[in-house]
Amino acid sequence: MTATTIVPEARSASATLRRNFWRGVWRVMKRKPSRMLGVVIMAGFAFMGIFGPMLYPDRLPRDTNALYAAPSWAHPFGTDFEGTDVLALVVTGSRYVLLTGLVTAVITVVLGAGIGLFAGFRRGRWDSVLMRITDMKLTIPGLPLLLVLSTIWKFTSAIEMGLVLGLLGWGGVARAVRSQTLSLRERGFVEAARGLGLSTTHIIGRELLPSMAPYIAMNMLIAVTGAVYAQVGLFFLGVLPFEANNWGVMLNLAVFGGGALTTTAALPYLLAPLLAILLLTLGIVLVVDAMDEIFNPRLREE
Amino acid sequence: MKRVAAVVSLLSLAAVTATACSSTSTGGSSAGGGVFTTIDGFKPGLDVNGPINPWNPKGNMFQGYNSMKLGWKKNHLTDPNQFYPGIAASWDIAPDNSSITLHLQPNNKWSDGTPVTAEDVKLSIALAYTQGSTAFSVDPGAAGAASDVEIIDDHTVKISQDMSNPSVTFVRGVMDSFVVPAHIWKDAVPANFWDTLKAARGEGAEAEKARAEITAQSDKVLAFAPAKDVSAGPYTLERMNPGEALLVKNKNFYNAANVGPDQVKLLNYTGNEQIWNYLISGKLDNAPFTAVPADVMKRIGQTPGNAVVKGFSPVSVAMAFNQSKKPYDNVHVRRGLAYLINRDEITKIASPEGGTPALTTTGIHQKPAEAWLGSELSQLEPYKLDAAKAEKEFKEAGLKKTGGKWTLPDGKPWKFTINVPAPFSDWVSAAKAVTSQLNEAGVTAEVLTTADYPLYLSELSAGKYDVGFWLVALGPAPYNIYQRLYGASNGWSILGGKIKHSAPGKDGNWMGSPETIDVKGVGKVNPGELTGKLNTAPESEQKAIISQLAKAANQDLPVIQLWDYVNTQFINTNRFTGFPENESDLLRETSGVWIQLGMIKKK
Repeated sequence: MTATTIVPEARSASATLRRNFWRGVWRVMKRKPSRMLGVVIMAGFAFMGIFGPMLYPDRLPRDTNALYAAPSWAHPFGTDFEGTDVLALVVTGSRYVLLTGLVTAVITVVLGAGIGLFAGFRRGRWDSVLMRITDMKLTIPGLPLLLVLSTIWKFTSAIEMGLVLGLLGWGGVARAVRSQTLSLRERGFVEAARGLGLSTTHIIGRELLPSMAPYIAMNMLIAVTGAVYAQVGLFFLGVLPFEANNWGVMLNLAVFGGGALTTTAALPYLLAPLLAILLLTLGIVLVVDAMDEIFNPRLREE
Repeated sequence: MKRVAAVVSLLSLAAVTATACSSTSTGGSSAGGGVFTTIDGFKPGLDVNGPINPWNPKGNMFQGYNSMKLGWKKNHLTDPNQFYPGIAASWDIAPDNSSITLHLQPNNKWSDGTPVTAEDVKLSIALAYTQGSTAFSVDPGAAGAASDVEIIDDHTVKISQDMSNPSVTFVRGVMDSFVVPAHIWKDAVPANFWDTLKAARGEGAEAEKARAEITAQSDKVLAFAPAKDVSAGPYTLERMNPGEALLVKNKNFYNAANVGPDQVKLLNYTGNEQIWNYLISGKLDNAPFTAVPADVMKRIGQTPGNAVVKGFSPVSVAMAFNQSKKPYDNVHVRRGLAYLINRDEITKIASPEGGTPALTTTGIHQKPAEAWLGSELSQLEPYKLDAAKAEKEFKEAGLKKTGGKWTLPDGKPWKFTINVPAPFSDWVSAAKAVTSQLNEAGVTAEVLTTADYPLYLSELSAGKYDVGFWLVALGPAPYNIYQRLYGASNGWSILGGKIKHSAPGKDGNWMGSPETIDVKGVGKVNPGELTGKLNTAPESEQKAIISQLAKAANQDLPVIQLWDYVNTQFINTNRFTGFPENESDLLRETSGVWIQLGMIKKK
């Protein structure tokens, strides 16, 4: 009898909690319009990555009488070395860049948080082994390794690229999550959970993880920007396969082929992908700022 | 721009006249002085710690300035054996090319005052053997190698060719050798070097051992680092920092009286963008060939004093097929592709200032092609853009068109993949433009880049690519030109004076052309053997052989020639005059050579 009455109450309590949470989110967003802008930018990029390439034909049209054309209504960012619209290149190229960022972020967070939580909670031998592995991983310089890898691996799909970047990037997250776990596991509520005889899975999943969720989520977003920089950098250096609409390839060809740093003709061709990267970073930074306040009540100015 | 170039031509003509006059009067000292600023096209990235050693790639010896060769190549359209004097003032070539006798500059001294003698030349030849060069090689299979070096007197050296395996490039190989001072370099090779070399020329185990001994010296010679620069060139290296090398006039140089600039500054650069910026700021008195985008070219032209001089450069770029891979083994596929590629558009996109679209595929740059082939050139198939002809060729090859896309004869999808090295931005944009053109014509095409050029070449020769960009027409020696199409990379190599053919995929044969081709109007030819013959054939026969090879290449298309490079150089006439004019053969040598010949004078 009692059980039947408790369950609906618990349900309505959690529903209220969720409602309050979203209300809180809305309040946080409203307080600084820049945060709304961040969300809009991120939504815009998500839309561009998913639907952008569908807006253009498979083979982008080119006009060989308008090489490096100046910006105009028809070509807001001008044209490239063979007369293709630069905006079309940025839009169609966004899918690879964003998908790589996403895959990298997921791998970084899953591996980093998993290893950090396990090591911090178990301590002892497991901690030593996992942290030595993490230390070793942290000593491997990412960029030189990627340069070497690129000579044998062509990274033709975004998932491959994301996988490699993710596998190279989890070390920092693992270390930070471990130290948070070490601190949280000594707190009263964890002690209480242990005293109640709750399972390890429960303690990790229901007690520890939610306290660290905002931190992990922020790391995930930051990992996206890291991945975008890393792969655009690799393409810029010209060590990865050529794809005319890849942002890094565009930067490379604008500088080395078009002389964008010397004269103005190829400048829009250089600025378009740069602007895209800048906007994406800005969007992520603004959203991270909002998340910080949502998850950390002490920051709320109420 | 053209008007400026014309002015420059007039100025340089005037300067040459002035030089001629001054040498008879005051020795030209009135036109001396000033700092001539340029870059060394052979040395991207100056290395302060590099040895003063001409053989070391990082060495701080700059050709024409403080590093001297026996002579300076003219790279004449058809005659590879024309030179400007260097350490050698003149030379006699035996009519059968069996020997060359060098007469050294009579009053030439090293910068420390020691006379330049035949001993210096002989020791430099010994050093060249350790590095292996065309004329000085211990490889028993090498054609056109020297057999004897004889000092006739202090200023005369006779070098004979091994006539069991001769080559017309022997003389060129000799003249293209560095000369260093024997009194500084004597310890770089063992005293018994010439005995070892004699033993190396024999056969059997002992000869093998001697050859190994000589090549083992290579690293020691490369690392040899004299404490200071002792030069027989117009300049000596004074000091260096990571940004520039400063060279000062060598008073002992044989033509010092006519050397204009007192100092030469060679600026450091690691990429073309740096050169563009130097040019825009008007810093450089000369920059050798540099790839330049159209807009940057315009900007460089706006700087007062800057002008462009253009000449011939024996280099063309082509798209080469790996015929071991299907469907590129089928000549109709290659021809069909040639009909779909608009070379004018490719050149406009990729090399607007430094190239002219190839007239057709002959394997030769269009300028020497006109000289070698004459009216026959116009009779070759020009492969002008023609979709209907392409369709006919593809159909003949059995390719099928389904849904607007060409597929292989068995109906499987066909993807045309071009490989290019990523650092060559003109090749990358050309390859992209080729794929755009092919995609529009229904051939699914993509570009794949490789991280750097050495890796690209090794993967290409390992047969990993279907199609790749490949430099051709590397003249002026006709043998050198055609060995790019029908040489080792296509299976033909010369061993002990005999041509040997290796099957595709073996011994570096990645092009995999058929061994014989039935050429229309000529009959069955073995292009590799014909190419080998160019090594020994007298000039009178070379024309006929080249005509056959050009027809074979034009019909069989082992490569599709895209554009011929134009040697586009920049000069600045604010500080100096006397620069070579358009089409001058001196444009194929460094400005150090212009200076040492007495051309460049202070304004």
